[in-house]
Amino acid sequence: MAEKLFGYNGVILEIDLTSGKVEKKPLSPDDARKFVGGRGLGMKILWDKLRKPGVNPLSPENPLIFMPGPFSGFPIPSSSRTCIVTKSPHTSPVKSKYPYASTISYSNMGGFIGPEIRFAGYDGIVITGKANSPVYIVIDDDKVEIRDAKKFWGMGTDEFDRKFIEELKDRRFRTCYIGPAGENLVEYACIINTAARAAGRGGTGCVMGSKNLKAIAVRGTKIPPVADHKRFLQLLEEARNGFKGTPYTENWRRYGTASAIISSSDAGSQAVKNYREGTFLDADKIGGISAEQKIWIRDFACYCCPLACKKSGVVRTGPYAGLVHDGPEYETGTMMGANLLVSDLEGLMKEIYDVDDFGLDQISTGNVIGFLMEAYEKGYIDSTFLDGIDLKWGDVPAILKMIRKIAMREGIGDLASKGVKRLSERIGRDSYKFAIHVKGHELAAWNVHVSLTQGVCYATANRGACHLNGHNPRAQNLNAMNDSLGLCRFAQGGFRQGLIRELLSAITGLDWTEEEYLKAGERIFNLEKAFNYREGFRREDDTIPDRFFEEPLTVGPRKGAVLNRDEFKKAMDDYYKERGWDLITTKPSAEKLRSLELEFVIKELK
Amino acid sequence: MDGRKKESKITILNLIQSEHSRREFLKKTVIGSSALLFSSLFVKRVFAQRAERPTYSMILVDYNKCTGCRTCETVCSAFNNKVKIGEEELPGLGNPYYSNIRVYSFNPDVDIPVTCLMCRDNPCIEACPVEPDPKTGRKALYRDEKTLAIKNDPVRCIGCGSCAEACRTKRIGAIIPNPQTGKPERMCTLCDGDPQCVKYCPYGALAHVVGRLDGKHYGFSIEEIAEKLTKLWYYNERNK
Repeated sequence: MAEKLFGYNGVILEIDLTSGKVEKKPLSPDDARKFVGGRGLGMKILWDKLRKPGVNPLSPENPLIFMPGPFSGFPIPSSSRTCIVTKSPHTSPVKSKYPYASTISYSNMGGFIGPEIRFAGYDGIVITGKANSPVYIVIDDDKVEIRDAKKFWGMGTDEFDRKFIEELKDRRFRTCYIGPAGENLVEYACIINTAARAAGRGGTGCVMGSKNLKAIAVRGTKIPPVADHKRFLQLLEEARNGFKGTPYTENWRRYGTASAIISSSDAGSQAVKNYREGTFLDADKIGGISAEQKIWIRDFACYCCPLACKKSGVVRTGPYAGLVHDGPEYETGTMMGANLLVSDLEGLMKEIYDVDDFGLDQISTGNVIGFLMEAYEKGYIDSTFLDGIDLKWGDVPAILKMIRKIAMREGIGDLASKGVKRLSERIGRDSYKFAIHVKGHELAAWNVHVSLTQGVCYATANRGACHLNGHNPRAQNLNAMNDSLGLCRFAQGGFRQGLIRELLSAITGLDWTEEEYLKAGERIFNLEKAFNYREGFRREDDTIPDRFFEEPLTVGPRKGAVLNRDEFKKAMDDYYKERGWDLITTKPSAEKLRSLELEFVIKELK
Repeated sequence: MDGRKKESKITILNLIQSEHSRREFLKKTVIGSSALLFSSLFVKRVFAQRAERPTYSMILVDYNKCTGCRTCETVCSAFNNKVKIGEEELPGLGNPYYSNIRVYSFNPDVDIPVTCLMCRDNPCIEACPVEPDPKTGRKALYRDEKTLAIKNDPVRCIGCGSCAEACRTKRIGAIIPNPQTGKPERMCTLCDGDPQCVKYCPYGALAHVVGRLDGKHYGFSIEEIAEKLTKLWYYNERNK
């Protein structure tokens, strides 16, 4: 008899949309131990599926992998996340011998679908191939069906969210889907659930669109086994109590991430005017306090989350009165607000709604439009280049036009749908200095001038610029584990030191010491890195835009702040040394890979 | 403190203030509150008199506070589906499929936790076609005198689904027939007098109410409640 695998269903669901074949593959206990779940296990599956570098991310070969983690499905506070792993359609190296070279991509979302995948009896869903025409997938416990989705193709995510659940005839189905941006293969299209929660970054929706897959619906009746039931219940009680009545919980509930719109602006760390500045003088107009007074109605939570950071509201005045949506959050409010100098809260809500409805990544979209605004202001491009749009800072109607063009890839939208790197290549001159990306992936809402380690965080992220990567190797390893468990980052601070590890031990029956835990995180990070290295990414790709070294902040409490190139170079040298990677090529050393039980990687890295 | 919460004067449990404990809630609800519009969307009137023996015990939902996190589902399922570990009987892992309280989500954001309303006129019991037992007077479906919860006797139940149909068409549709046997499931047990959903709701959105009940049920479906809440919250004239 096979050894019982605790904490997992032991099954990965594989669906090939080309042939329509559905397979239930056993999950290797060794992989479960080494790569945990979520981002880690998704990466291992991606590595196994793509046996060579340079695969076109939009080809049927590229798998789209939906991964909950070992916490998913259990009522541990805030264990709601699903990580989507694939080869990125949006990143590229400075040079590589492979025309389709790109990094890995992972993006995770909250809501309810991650736990539901586990209730249906799976530890992950791997989708390959390409359907002949638009389809959606229904997973109802053991039963898996691929159904025609032609009538839904082209539909915005808000309307689709409502129509789809009606079609399924049971509100207990959990769904996720793409909007027109994903269908049109915008490189930074996202996957959305509940009409607002998004796996925003890295173009997962673009890959989903390339497979002609509109949506996935899941419903289940099961739950995976745990190794130490009694201990698990004790730790669960402790975890729940840890969130009760604390200032941490209260602040998240009241403002969600929107509290940072003002605090980050005050710290000079906000993306403002295409990252030219770190302080937005009108931050209070779009921040949490204003939104609470003018927009928000209710708080909403993901599965078993005591924080409820999602704020749903309604626009009450102006041309968009009656619009119901959630936000602004820190990222949406900063990227579509501060970064574009939008101080009109109602207009900002409309932007956020449209970006979600089209199924675009809020971060990349706000970054791309900010870049175009700056290029336009500087006279690098004129309104003819922008199809007649007078794209001035803070102009909401112009921004709305641009959002639509990007999602539909009309006119300038076609080029803009490929991101700031491609735009700056076309525009030329020194526009690369204010094309704010790393490896082709746009930076998020945290600015860099005031923090050297924020620069290291962006430069070394395996999916291209990522604010959630971590500022040093240890933080990055811990974050990689967090993303692999199915736990939300925002809840981390509510757990007592060591409690997360103890929960994982009780669930899996393995002894997760701090050393083992960090090592697993390091293993995951190194496998991602090895994938990128094999594609051709080198040290020259691990950098941040010139703006942060050359143009000091001119307003706010941190006026004058700028990074120093030598200090950045030294910080990066230290980073690679600590990682055990080559200083010139960034290749992970064979002994490092061996110590992480990644022997299978060594021969792949020439 | 919180501007949003102050603004929404019409709450479903319009007597509960956010800081009030369950004890205070009970006091307010039970003492001399004639024609109190509580849970106004589905119960028309409540007359509660302290002196008389309670005839009614149920879980009430404050939709204003529910965030749709479904913690209630997991603790309900865990308590009511115990597992034997060695010699000990312990709560289960909280698979929400087996929960007696179920949250239904809508777009725009409205979450409706649905659980047995313990209706005084119990259309489910009325619909049960099983002959009353001569000794106890009970049909297969009956109200338990001690807990006041509606229970099903699986031995006498014929699995016809009449009770679920009655609940679905006349009330909120809390009863769901077992897909194999047709016997009713998802009836609230009140957890031996200590409802776990009330105890563990991180947002204080649920309350256990004991008292006497008179008046009629509105009998709104889940969809109708959602529609009313959507209008009340998002498409209210006050928002303009």
